Amino acid sequence: MMQRTGSTTCLTFLQAAADMAPSDGIRLRFDSEAASIHGEADCSEGQDYRWRKETGMTCWGHTGQMYTPKSAQGAMQPRRWRNEMKILTTIWATLLVVLSTAVLASGHVKMLESGKDIDMVLLPKFLGILVFDQANEGAQEAHAELKNNGDLLFVGPTPENSVAGQIEIVTTAATQGQGVVMLSNNAGDQIVPAATAAMEAGTRVVTWDSPIPSGEGEDVFVAQVDFGSIGEVMAEMAHSLLDGNGQMAVLSATPDAANQNAWIASMQEALKDTKYADIELVDIVYGDDQAELSYNRALALVDQYPDLGVIMSPTTVGIQASAKAMQDEGLCDQVKVSGLGLPSEMVSYTLNGCAPEFALWDFRDLGYLTYYTAYGLASGQLTGEIGETFMAGRMGEFAIEEDPGRPGSRRILMGPFTVYNADNVEAAAK
Amino acid sequence: MCEPLLRLENVTKRFGMTTALQDMSLDIFSGEVHAIVGENGAGKSTIIKIMTGIHQTTEGRLVIDGTARNISGARAARDIGIAAIYQEPMVFPDLDVAENIFISARSGWFLNQAQLHAEAQRLLGRIGIALDSSSIASGLTLAAQQAVEIARALSQDVRILIMDEPTASLSAHEAKQLRKVARTLAEEGVAVIYISHRLEEIFDIADRVTVIRDGIHISTRPIGDVTSEGMVSEMVGRDVGNYFVKAPSTVTSNSLLRVEHLTREGIFSDISFDLMQGEVLCMAGLVGARRTDVALALFGINPSSSGQIFYKGRQINPSCAREAMDAGIAYVSEDRRKLGLAMPMSLRSNVSLATLRSFVGRWGFLDQSLERMTALEYRDRLNIRAPDVELSVGMLSGGNQQKTMLAKWLRMKPDVLIFDEPTRGIDIGAKAEVHALIREFVANGGGAIVISSDLPEVLAMGDRILVMREGRQMGIVNSTETGQETIMRLATGQASVEAA
Amino acid sequence: MLHRLSPQTIRILALLVVLLLVILFFSTQVPNYLSGRLFNRVSSSVAIMALIATAQTLVILTRNIDLSIGSVVGFVAFATGSLITDNPDLHWTLLVAFSITLGMFFGMINGFFVAVAKVPAIIVTLGTLALFRSVLVEFSDAKSIVTANLPTWLINFPNTPLLEIGTLQLRASFAVAVAVVLVVHIALSRIRIARKLYAVGSNPEAAEMAGINIGLTVFTAFVLSGALAGLAGFLFLARFGTITVVAGLGFELKSVAAAVVGGVNIFGGSGLVIGALIGAILVDLIDSSLVRWHLVSEFWREAVLGGLILLAVTMDTLVMRSLAVWRTARSNSKEDRRANVQSP
Repeated sequence: MMQRTGSTTCLTFLQAAADMAPSDGIRLRFDSEAASIHGEADCSEGQDYRWRKETGMTCWGHTGQMYTPKSAQGAMQPRRWRNEMKILTTIWATLLVVLSTAVLASGHVKMLESGKDIDMVLLPKFLGILVFDQANEGAQEAHAELKNNGDLLFVGPTPENSVAGQIEIVTTAATQGQGVVMLSNNAGDQIVPAATAAMEAGTRVVTWDSPIPSGEGEDVFVAQVDFGSIGEVMAEMAHSLLDGNGQMAVLSATPDAANQNAWIASMQEALKDTKYADIELVDIVYGDDQAELSYNRALALVDQYPDLGVIMSPTTVGIQASAKAMQDEGLCDQVKVSGLGLPSEMVSYTLNGCAPEFALWDFRDLGYLTYYTAYGLASGQLTGEIGETFMAGRMGEFAIEEDPGRPGSRRILMGPFTVYNADNVEAAAK
Repeated sequence: MCEPLLRLENVTKRFGMTTALQDMSLDIFSGEVHAIVGENGAGKSTIIKIMTGIHQTTEGRLVIDGTARNISGARAARDIGIAAIYQEPMVFPDLDVAENIFISARSGWFLNQAQLHAEAQRLLGRIGIALDSSSIASGLTLAAQQAVEIARALSQDVRILIMDEPTASLSAHEAKQLRKVARTLAEEGVAVIYISHRLEEIFDIADRVTVIRDGIHISTRPIGDVTSEGMVSEMVGRDVGNYFVKAPSTVTSNSLLRVEHLTREGIFSDISFDLMQGEVLCMAGLVGARRTDVALALFGINPSSSGQIFYKGRQINPSCAREAMDAGIAYVSEDRRKLGLAMPMSLRSNVSLATLRSFVGRWGFLDQSLERMTALEYRDRLNIRAPDVELSVGMLSGGNQQKTMLAKWLRMKPDVLIFDEPTRGIDIGAKAEVHALIREFVANGGGAIVISSDLPEVLAMGDRILVMREGRQMGIVNSTETGQETIMRLATGQASVEAA
Repeated sequence: MLHRLSPQTIRILALLVVLLLVILFFSTQVPNYLSGRLFNRVSSSVAIMALIATAQTLVILTRNIDLSIGSVVGFVAFATGSLITDNPDLHWTLLVAFSITLGMFFGMINGFFVAVAKVPAIIVTLGTLALFRSVLVEFSDAKSIVTANLPTWLINFPNTPLLEIGTLQLRASFAVAVAVVLVVHIALSRIRIARKLYAVGSNPEAAEMAGINIGLTVFTAFVLSGALAGLAGFLFLARFGTITVVAGLGFELKSVAAAVVGGVNIFGGSGLVIGALIGAILVDLIDSSLVRWHLVSEFWREAVLGGLILLAVTMDTLVMRSLAVWRTARSNSKEDRRANVQSP
C-alpha cells in the first residue's frame, strides 16, 4: 500500500477538492504546515471539512451537525454533551482525531457494486455471546443487500479455546481461499503470524470490535466508537450518578484486555477535567469476564470502600454481575452500577434502580458496516488506503483513516453510541 | 481319601504361541498343605491364575466338589472360596486393617464400625496375630499385611488358600509364624496350596509336594517320600552340583572400602567394617535390621549423618548416588520392580541405563548399535534367557530380570558392588548363576557386599558376615568358623561379638 | 494423644489451624476484616465451589480426574435456566431434579469412556470439557439466561437467611452445600459400597483381586460426581441469574485445587470430603482476603494465591511425612518389644 507523502497547501487542497468532488457530502481533511496561505477558506490544522457546492468548504463537526470551524470547538464541551445525552440519549459521537499527514486519496464516495462472488468468514471472539450474534445478524443483512453470490460463514471458537481457536480458523480460512476474514480479535498479537500468512495468501483481514494491537496482518479495523469517547461517556455517567461528588471504582475484564484498558485510560484522562474534581477513582479490579469472579470482586469493593458510590464496569459480564451482587445484598441505594452493558441483560437492574444508566453501541450496525468494508476490500472495489470513502448502505458514508491509537494502522469509525436508562431500556431489550 | 475339593483335569493353557501349561492334572484335598515347586517360569503362576479366575483354561477343566466349574473371574473364585496371597501383599494402603479385611464383604448397606473392628480382631485372633484393627495398612510390616490378607480370606469363608512365595520378604521369625498360621488353617479343613523356593520350609509344612517343570506335571508325592536332592533335580531336570558349595576365597589384603562409625540418626548407628579386594562381605539380619539403609548410605541415596567412608584410603562420604557411582560404588537394588529396572523398556536400554554417557556418540546421539552389541554381550555372558535384547524386561522371568540388573551395574565396571537380596524370588538354577557371577566379580579384583536373608546362602557366599540387628552392628564373623545358629543368635540379639 | 487420631483427622485439624492463622493474619492487615460480612461473603461464594470440590473428590478418590466439571456446571445452569424461563410455574422440586438428572447424564458419558472404554480420565474429560462447552454454545443459540426472566423464589433462594446472629447470616445456599457435603461425608464413611471408591483408588490391582467391579465403581463415581455438579449448576443459576456460555469456566482447576488443599490424595485412595470443603473455604478465603489486601496488586494476586496453595500443600506433605516417620518409629519400637518377648 502506497503512503501519500508530502504536504499540500490550503489552496492546492481546495483546488484538488473542487476538481475531484462533484457531489455534496464528501468529507475532506486538510493538513499543512502553511494553513493560512489562502485567505478565502478558513482552514484549520487537522480539521475535517465537508464540501458543499453552494457554500464551498465547511467544517464537519463532532456531533454530526454543520459547524463553522470556530464554533466546532464548542461541541467538545462536556456541558453540552451532557445536555444532549439527557435529551436525546442517542449521541452521534464521531470524534475524529487526526494525527496523520493524510492527503486526499480519492474524492469519490465509492458506491459498492453488488452481486460479486466473495466467500467471507465472520469470526467472533468466541461463540455463544449475544453481541456477536447480533453482529452476525447485521452482516447477514448486508450480505443479502449486496446480493453476494459467495457464502458468509459465521464461525468461531468455543470459549475455553478462544485464542488457539481463532488462530486456527484464520489459518483454515486462508487455506480454503476465503475472500476475507472479519475478525474480532481475542488473541492479541499472537494472531499476527496467522493473519499475515492469510493476507499473503490473498485473504483480506478486516478486524472489528477488537483490533490486532500492532496493526500487523490487518487491512483495516472497523471501530465501534472512538476509544477516547468511551472514557468520556463513562466519566459523564459517573458524574451524573454521583451528582458530581463521590467515590467510584472500576470493575474491568482481565488485567490485559486491550479494549478495556484503553477505555479505562481514556476515562482517567477525562476525569482530569476540573468538572470531575470531586470524583475520586479509588480502585480498579478485574473480574476476568467471569460472572462469579466479577460478583465477588464487586462485593469486595463495597466492603473495602464504605463510601463507594459507583461501580463502573466497561464489560457486559462485569456490569450485570455487579448489579446482581448489589441487588442481592440490598446495596442498590448506596452503590450504583454503570458501564457498558446489554439492554436485555440489564433491563431489570435499570428499572429497579441498581444500574440506572449504562451505555453500548449497536452490534448489528457494527456487523453491517464490517461486512460492507470487507466486501469492498475483497472485491477490489476498495483499496484500503487512508482517505478512501465509501457508502455503507443504510448507514451512510464512511472513510478510512489512520487509527489514532495505533499509529500506522487504519480504521473506520462507526460512531453511534447509545446511553440507556429507564426510558429506553425496555424497548431495546426486546 | 475322599473326593478332592479341587481337581485340575488335563489343563492346557496357551498364550499365543507359547504353552504355559501342558496337560496338567492335579488334585487338591481339603485339610492338606499342598506344596507346588518348580523353577521360575515352570508354570506355577499360571496355575494360580487359572484357579483364581484371572486366566481361563485353553483346554481341560476344573472340577470343584465333584462338578465341573468355570471360574470366570476374581468374584467367581471368591464365591467358590478360593483366595490367594502373594509375596507382595495386595492390601489397600490407605484403608485401615478392618476396612481391608472386609473390603468385599457383601452384607448390609451400612457399616457398623464397632462390629467391624470386633469381627476383625476375632479373625486376627483366630490366626494368632495381634494387630490394631484401626491402623492404616500402609504403616504395617509386610508380615502384618499378609496377615490382613489371610484374615480377609477367612472372612470370605475360604476353602482353598493359595500362598505364593508368602515368606520371601519375611524374617525367619515372621516366616515361622506364617507357616504356623497355614498349618492351623489346614487343620481347620482349609486346603492350603503353598508355593516357595525355600525347600526347608516345604519340608517343614507340606503334606504333599507337586513338582512341575516347563508347564508339565513331574510328580506329586507325600512329603515323607521326597528328599531335598531329589526334588531339586526334578525341578531343574539335572543335578545341581555346586549349589551351596563354597567357592575358594580370593580375599587379598588391600582395603577397598573402609567404614568407620557410620551413623544415620534414628536409623542405624556405629557401623564399622573393612571390605577387602576380592572379598564377599555378607550382611545378615532379620527384617528391620536396617541393612538396606546402610547400603543406601554407602551409595549416597540416604546419606549418613556421621561417620566416615574411605574408598581406597580416600574419604568420600557420598551425598548422592552419582558421587558414589563416580567413586566406583554400585548398588543392585532389592526391589527390581520399583528401583532396579525400567520394566517397559527394552533389555538393551536397561543394560545401558547406568552408563549412558559411554554410549553417547557423534553429535550427542546415543549409539544404538553399540548399545545393542553391549547388551548382546552381557546377555550371553550372564546367560540371560531372552530371544532378543529389544524385548521389554517386564516380560522376562524374575531370575532373568535380576541378571539384567546385574548386567546394568557390571557394565559400569565398579570396584565395589552392593547386592541387596540378589537371589530373592528367583529359582535355584538362576541363584547358582548369580552366585557364580558375584564370585567372578570379586575374583577379578572387585569387592562385594551382599545383603541376604537366606542363611545357607550367606554362609556359602560370604568370606565374612556382618550381622545387624535394629540398626546396630552385632558383630562380624568369619564364615568358615561359624554356623547358622551363631548368626541367628546375633541377629536376634542373644549374643554379640566385638567388631573385628 | 496425637497418635490416637487417624492421619486424616490430624489433617483436618491442621487445615482448621491454617484457616485460623489466615484469618488472624488478614485481620491484622485489613481494616474491618473480622465482621459478619466476611463470613457472609465467603460462605455464599463457597457454596457452589464446595459442591464441585466434593464432586471432584469422589472422582479423584478412584484415581481419576474430572476436567469437564466446569462445562457440566455451565451447561446445567443454562439448561435449567431455559427450562424455568419457558415454564415459570414449574415446581422447584422438578427443577432441582432436572438439574441433578442432567448432571448425572454428563457423568454417565464421562463414566462410560473411562470405565467401559478404559480411556484415561484426563483424556476423556479434557475432551468432554470442550465437547460439553461446544454443545452448550450450540444449544444456547447465543441467548443468555437473564435474571428478569427467572422467578423470584429462585433469585431470592441463595441469600435467604435461615439463621441470623447479629450480622452473621447462615444463608440457604451455604446451608444446602454444607448439608450435602455432610451427607456425602457420612455416606463415604458409613456405607459399605462407598468404601469401594477408596479401595479402587488405593490399589486397583488388589481391588480386582478382591472381586470389586472396578469399572462399575468408577462409573458410579462419575455419575455421583455428575449429580453433585448438576446441583452446583442449579445453585449457580440461582446465585448469578445471568448465565452465558462462559458460565463455570475454570471450575475444573479450582475444584482440583480445593480438593488437594483439603488433603485429598491426587493419586487416589485417601481423602475426606470434609477436607475438600475446608480446602474450598480456605482457597476462597485467601482469594477474597487478597482482594481486600492493598499490599498485593491485582496482577500479583493470582500468583500469590498460587504460591499460598503450593505452600499449604507442601507444608501438609512435609508434616504428614514426618508424622508417618515418627509413627513408624514408635510402632516399630513397640513391635520390637513384643517380638523380644516372643523370641525363644
